[in-house]
Amino acid sequence: MMLAAFATTVFDSQRTFRELLQAMARPAAPRALPILPPSPASIAPAAMAVLLTLCDATTSVWLQQPQEDAVEHLRFHAGLRLAERPQDADFALITDPASMPSLTSFAHGDIRYPDRSASLIIQVAAFGSSPCVQGEVGRGSLALASTQDCTTPPQPSPVNKGGSSRAMHFAGPGIRETEILAIDRLPSDFWQQRAAMSVQLPLGVDLFFVAAQQVVALPRTTRLLES
Amino acid sequence: MSSSQVWSEDSGHDGNVHATRKYAPSPRRGEGWGEGLGWPCPPLHQGTFCSDFTQKHSSSARRPLTPTLSPKGRGSDIPAMNYNFAFLDEDTKRMLRRALLKAVAIPGYQVPFGSREMPLPYGWGTGGIQVTAALLGPDDVLKVIDQGADDTTNAVNIRRFFARVAGVATTEHTADATLIQTRHRIPETSLREDQILVFQVPEPEPLRTLEPREAETRTLHALADYGLMHVKLYEDIAQYGHIATSYDYPVLVDGRFLTSPSPIPKFDNPKMDHSPALMLFGAGREKRLYAIPPYTRVESLAFEDHPFEIQRWEHQCELCGSGESYLDEVVVDDRGTRMFVCSDTDFCGQRRAEAQA
Amino acid sequence: MYVAVKGGEQAIARSLELLAEARRGDTAVPELELAQIREQLRLGVARVMQEGSLYDEELAALAIRQAAGDMLEAIFLLRAYRTTLPRFGYTQPLNTTAMRVHRRVSGTFKDIPGGQVLGPTYDYTQRLLEFDTTAPAVVTPADAPLPLNMPRVLDLLDAEALIERIDAGNDPEPMDLTREPLMFPADRATRLQNLSRGDEGFLLSMAYSTQRGYAESHPFAGEIRMGEVDVVVCPEELGFAIEIGAITLTECQMINQFHGGNGMPPQFTRGYGLSMGEGERKAMSMALVDRALRCDELAEANVAPAQNQEFVLSHSDSVEASGFVQHLKLPHYVDFQAELSLLRTLAAQHAADTDEQLSSVVGGQRP
Repeated sequence: MMLAAFATTVFDSQRTFRELLQAMARPAAPRALPILPPSPASIAPAAMAVLLTLCDATTSVWLQQPQEDAVEHLRFHAGLRLAERPQDADFALITDPASMPSLTSFAHGDIRYPDRSASLIIQVAAFGSSPCVQGEVGRGSLALASTQDCTTPPQPSPVNKGGSSRAMHFAGPGIRETEILAIDRLPSDFWQQRAAMSVQLPLGVDLFFVAAQQVVALPRTTRLLES
Repeated sequence: MSSSQVWSEDSGHDGNVHATRKYAPSPRRGEGWGEGLGWPCPPLHQGTFCSDFTQKHSSSARRPLTPTLSPKGRGSDIPAMNYNFAFLDEDTKRMLRRALLKAVAIPGYQVPFGSREMPLPYGWGTGGIQVTAALLGPDDVLKVIDQGADDTTNAVNIRRFFARVAGVATTEHTADATLIQTRHRIPETSLREDQILVFQVPEPEPLRTLEPREAETRTLHALADYGLMHVKLYEDIAQYGHIATSYDYPVLVDGRFLTSPSPIPKFDNPKMDHSPALMLFGAGREKRLYAIPPYTRVESLAFEDHPFEIQRWEHQCELCGSGESYLDEVVVDDRGTRMFVCSDTDFCGQRRAEAQA
Repeated sequence: MYVAVKGGEQAIARSLELLAEARRGDTAVPELELAQIREQLRLGVARVMQEGSLYDEELAALAIRQAAGDMLEAIFLLRAYRTTLPRFGYTQPLNTTAMRVHRRVSGTFKDIPGGQVLGPTYDYTQRLLEFDTTAPAVVTPADAPLPLNMPRVLDLLDAEALIERIDAGNDPEPMDLTREPLMFPADRATRLQNLSRGDEGFLLSMAYSTQRGYAESHPFAGEIRMGEVDVVVCPEELGFAIEIGAITLTECQMINQFHGGNGMPPQFTRGYGLSMGEGERKAMSMALVDRALRCDELAEANVAPAQNQEFVLSHSDSVEASGFVQHLKLPHYVDFQAELSLLRTLAAQHAADTDEQLSSVVGGQRP
């Protein structure tokens, strides 16, 4: 049976977009997505919310694990085009980060048009970050994870099953001083890859991480600080 | 729900008023014609025509039209007048939203976008209107200002437009707004993290007056080669002893892209540096949009021996007494007598209200 | 005492009332019916459809009436309506060779297969105002119907290999300028799309400039034809092509001398113009400008305004141009104040410098 998509397309995608926009504008700070649409098992509902909000017949999407029910669902509800190769994709959905292709295999833009670059949606198990952001949900509630906003010192989340994640400090446009975040189960050289790409700025790829109801964006300009 | 509100949450399961008929399948399920905001106007061949979509509230207000409107040999295939929530169709909003996300990811870089022809003229805020339309939701409270004022005619017209096509609440108070669309000013009241400022931009390319060819300016941005602008500013100093740019004063965003702050007075430039609020810029005619994320370094170009300075007045606002706001000069009689008043009418009004209380 | 200007909303409401009254004019005179506009102002309707990028005589007539005959405003109205229309599909390329011709002339050969067909044209009117238009038009029936197939004049040259070949079907999918931004350099399909939406007056002047020496151009009107062309779509769910109607088009193919270059032998080259409805001036202007814009492709010197694609394509659109020129009537108080304060500073400094110079000169004369 075919699953439904957003119940009220116009308003659900608008509310989701506003969270994505704030996520991109305030990197490394988790935000709660307002609506989780039904989704086939292989795609997390949060990732589905992002895809339905941003993708349509004019975008090409690369699926790391193009399972039939997922493909059918996305074609039916979003009419999107699937990209054969990562480098052809406007959006890429990474459902198994541990085995994802290198970041350099995605389009990182033209020197005159750096916007012609991929956005990656990466499904992860959980985020650990500063405590004051935990459990914040709902539209308009700003995830104030900036260090100076916390009354208690930020602590990395200990909840990491099988991941080698550690709390990392980020800085860059959109971050007041620094932001602290841990992301589970990324390839061991993920951050090296990303750091290596940063010499090409403003070329680069932009990342959305999703876990449960939360989304975190890391645009190309966000720097991982040595901790 | 106000009387100007033209969509209603309970009129359809998807929160939209449906048109009297669906014209054709849309490329994406659940969207398109008849979805979003629909005005239940009858097709033209029935001899009525909803020429003004606010009239939809009252069927008696529908104007009977001369039967000649009904075309030869066609009838029921003319769609009813019908607009989506916030005017733009969902495909267009998605296109804008994707472009906005890239704009935020590359601060100060001009993203080309498929600007649509809006029902307001190019040069009158079509870029800002499209950005606002892509952002706007039913819970938003919208403020629109032009020259700092809520009541200038074009600001009124844009506010009226969104009240009409999206039924959103509007306000004149900066503090109450979730979205502020502006032309030529940044409000004096400090903005918050939960607010978004949308600028109307006539010319997004800060190098345009120095280099008219787009192909060339793209290359200069790619190379971060902004020598042209430095030479221009330096020539100003050599000739006048000052940098002779008083508005649309170029800024460097995050140390990378030379960016037009739109024609705000340079007085407002410092408000952009590390602003808590996200700032989005739309240039409809030029089909570009760009962004300055919150907490981002925004430097106004200057030289060590000629630091950046903002406008100062010897006067204070004659209405509220403010000595730190941007002032409009008003000619009050035919002998040329001048008085100075705040350009930001909400800021001025609030100060006067506080003084009275 | 001065109070901040208020009442914008009311002022707009009153202005709209005055506009409605002015548009209607004397109510003792019957209101124009759309059929009257469509039938009797057909060339105006054609221009609004063409530059409004929407083939709908009814809506164009409505726009012309609402705009009180201001064609640019009518074009704007139609464009703003068009933006909101969903796309159901795309037609197959129109076959103008199969046009049911009402007019067809060539300036290149005295006679051509199918003949020179003047059709309805203002060309040979004597421009005397006709004060009495009550006499009904009488049309003498033709001795023989026009041939169904009118060969193209340029195909005759093609047979001799004297004119550049354009391979049908080799073009990439054209982009849609109403959905995607114009980028430079723009390919020919994009340029033609821009020109077809461009302002007739602007194109006419640009075309004229190429004839007066601002771009090396020696054009001949190879063929101008006007008539009806079938519109064919191939819906995916049907899998075969169906005709959905016919529209009137004017097509112009210009022939231009070319001395060879960029690996091409000396031959004639083409300039192309197409307009909805009867729009001969537009189609001809477009063909001249199209040819001028091909200068880089043909390795011709790019020196004239009409050859500069950024200049032509960025300034051709009347809706863009009209909006931006007229936006100057919007308030600019804030920027003007900024300029005023800058100018006062500069003027004061100038005065101070002059005083200083004067006093030093005067000082120097003292013993």
